[in-house]
Amino acid sequence: MTARISRSAAAAILILPSGGYLVLFFGLPLLLAFLGGFGLFTRGAETGFTLEHYRTLFGTRAYRDGLLFSTYLAIVPTMVSLALALPLAVALARTHPGQKLFNMLYKVPLVVPGIVAAFIVMTMFDRGGLAARVLEPIGIDLPKLVRDQWAIGVIIATAWKAVPFMTLIIGGSLGAINRDILSAARTLGAGPLATFWRIQVPLALPGITAAFLLTFIGGMGAYAVPNLLGPVYPLPLSVHMYVNAFERNNWGLVSAMGTVLSLISVAVLLAYYRATRGMRIAYGGEAR
Amino acid sequence: MSRLYIDGVAKSFGDAVALHEVSLHVDDGEFVTLLGPSGCGKTTLMRIVAGITQPDRGSIRIDDRVIHSLPPERRNIGLVFQSYALFPHMTVAANVGFGLKMRGIPRADADARVAAALDLVDLGPLADRYPRALSGGQQQRVALARAVVIEPDVLLFDEPLSNLDAKLRDQLRDDLKILQRRLGITAIYVTHDQAEAMALADRILVMKNGRIVEEGAPVTLYRQPRTRFAAEFLGQTNVLPVRQRDGRTLMPWDREVLASADDADRHVSLRPEDIAMTPDADGPGAVRSVTFLGASVECRIAVGGIELRVRQTGSDVVLPEIGTRVRLAARAAPHPLSEGSDSPLKLADA
Repeated sequence: MTARISRSAAAAILILPSGGYLVLFFGLPLLLAFLGGFGLFTRGAETGFTLEHYRTLFGTRAYRDGLLFSTYLAIVPTMVSLALALPLAVALARTHPGQKLFNMLYKVPLVVPGIVAAFIVMTMFDRGGLAARVLEPIGIDLPKLVRDQWAIGVIIATAWKAVPFMTLIIGGSLGAINRDILSAARTLGAGPLATFWRIQVPLALPGITAAFLLTFIGGMGAYAVPNLLGPVYPLPLSVHMYVNAFERNNWGLVSAMGTVLSLISVAVLLAYYRATRGMRIAYGGEAR
Repeated sequence: MSRLYIDGVAKSFGDAVALHEVSLHVDDGEFVTLLGPSGCGKTTLMRIVAGITQPDRGSIRIDDRVIHSLPPERRNIGLVFQSYALFPHMTVAANVGFGLKMRGIPRADADARVAAALDLVDLGPLADRYPRALSGGQQQRVALARAVVIEPDVLLFDEPLSNLDAKLRDQLRDDLKILQRRLGITAIYVTHDQAEAMALADRILVMKNGRIVEEGAPVTLYRQPRTRFAAEFLGQTNVLPVRQRDGRTLMPWDREVLASADDADRHVSLRPEDIAMTPDADGPGAVRSVTFLGASVECRIAVGGIELRVRQTGSDVVLPEIGTRVRLAARAAPHPLSEGSDSPLKLADA
């Protein structure tokens, strides 16, 4: 009996460093933000349970549009980046001349900070930017790409950063596939395209997912890039959070916004895990 | 009818020559084994036939159909891998049905053929399992069903049994032979295991350093090898120096070699099981070691500066003491070996 108690005590002590760290620096702030959204333990305001902040969030058109826009900025650049990164990763997995050099070059954007990428896009694609000046003499008039309605500039800057990142992760997953499996598919009658969709993509799904989710969540909370390159209206929720925190001191509303952004990310994560469950059971070594 | 013609196929990887110009014709329904040590080019040759590796030159035909310029998916060649190479994200049935799906075979027809192929390898009840849940032997049988269900013109095996344990290997080897016979598929089998090669093949091609050095039916190749390399690679043998004296060719123990040997022949091959050994206090040999292997007893005998292996079988064999003097006699004619063992073999009909 005493042995069992001391054993569970020992287990508790062993878990404490990692578990305690998670609770203290991750769980607690998240809980405070969640409660803050309901007016509890709110910074710089009297506390008491209220749904007022959520009412404001969903009742104000600018915030509703901001929420949709944040989701748009998570989905669209991620999809665009994935569409570019997937074929690039496959191409890089094959042996070709100049492989080493190319493998190094495509990673360059990884070491450039996002804000710098945003300024690069601005100098390139803004009205009177480099691209416009080069293309104008040959009669090509670029549409508005910076601070435009569809946030094309944001998509370009985000993709510029995300494509190498996704390529790196997906490339790792593709590289881990036994080459015999690809050869087997070919001898059985699958062309390169069928092999890609039916074999490579499903088997690289863990990497594709990780890349997708990380980019998606980054887009959900993106602040600097949409603030620089995005349209004047709508503003993403991240910008509204900044304004409400530091210009209006409305921390309760900020907490509500943060909670909603997090919930959407978690929802996407759960939806994904549900959708790919069968596949992971089949070959991921996961128990049924 | 599917005859495979490989003519003058060569391949280098950078400076390393994997295949010198290799030619090989496989008859309809014939089971040919490429036998050789690792790095001899046998796998490269097979991958070239499958279309996974591109040859530098040479041509490959199946009957009148030139295939060396076709991508793998249009060659209609089945390939069974050492690593099984099953699709881990598909069930057994989906794995076997993959080739039919790619060929646009209607679902109902495909399902029936998949079921028939799985019955052929006794895996019908496991159709809905994933490869992960199967043993190595079962996985390889799935791979076999997957390769034959598309009714390939030629079936290729790349050391398919090497990852299995010994007992399972023998079992699957026999199954595979029966299946190939029943289906009458033209087959090439790559292996470094001489026992496997002899058990399976109608014809063995011995490869070394990117060349086919010798070919023949298993019995011929084992009993009358032409090259020292083939003699030593197929089973165990004693390669013994012979002496020419007064127009006679003599064994190390001064017995005359019965088979006709040219003056150029300096060595003969004599299998351990073809040597009779009798205790004799005045004999030329001395027992150096004795190994009891159950079915046989293997002795190493020192004779005039060389050592040879003698294998005796039967329950009446007496294990000799080390140091016992023995007399030796060849029970079969020692087989002369040509000295230029590396010279490439010309095809009879090429």
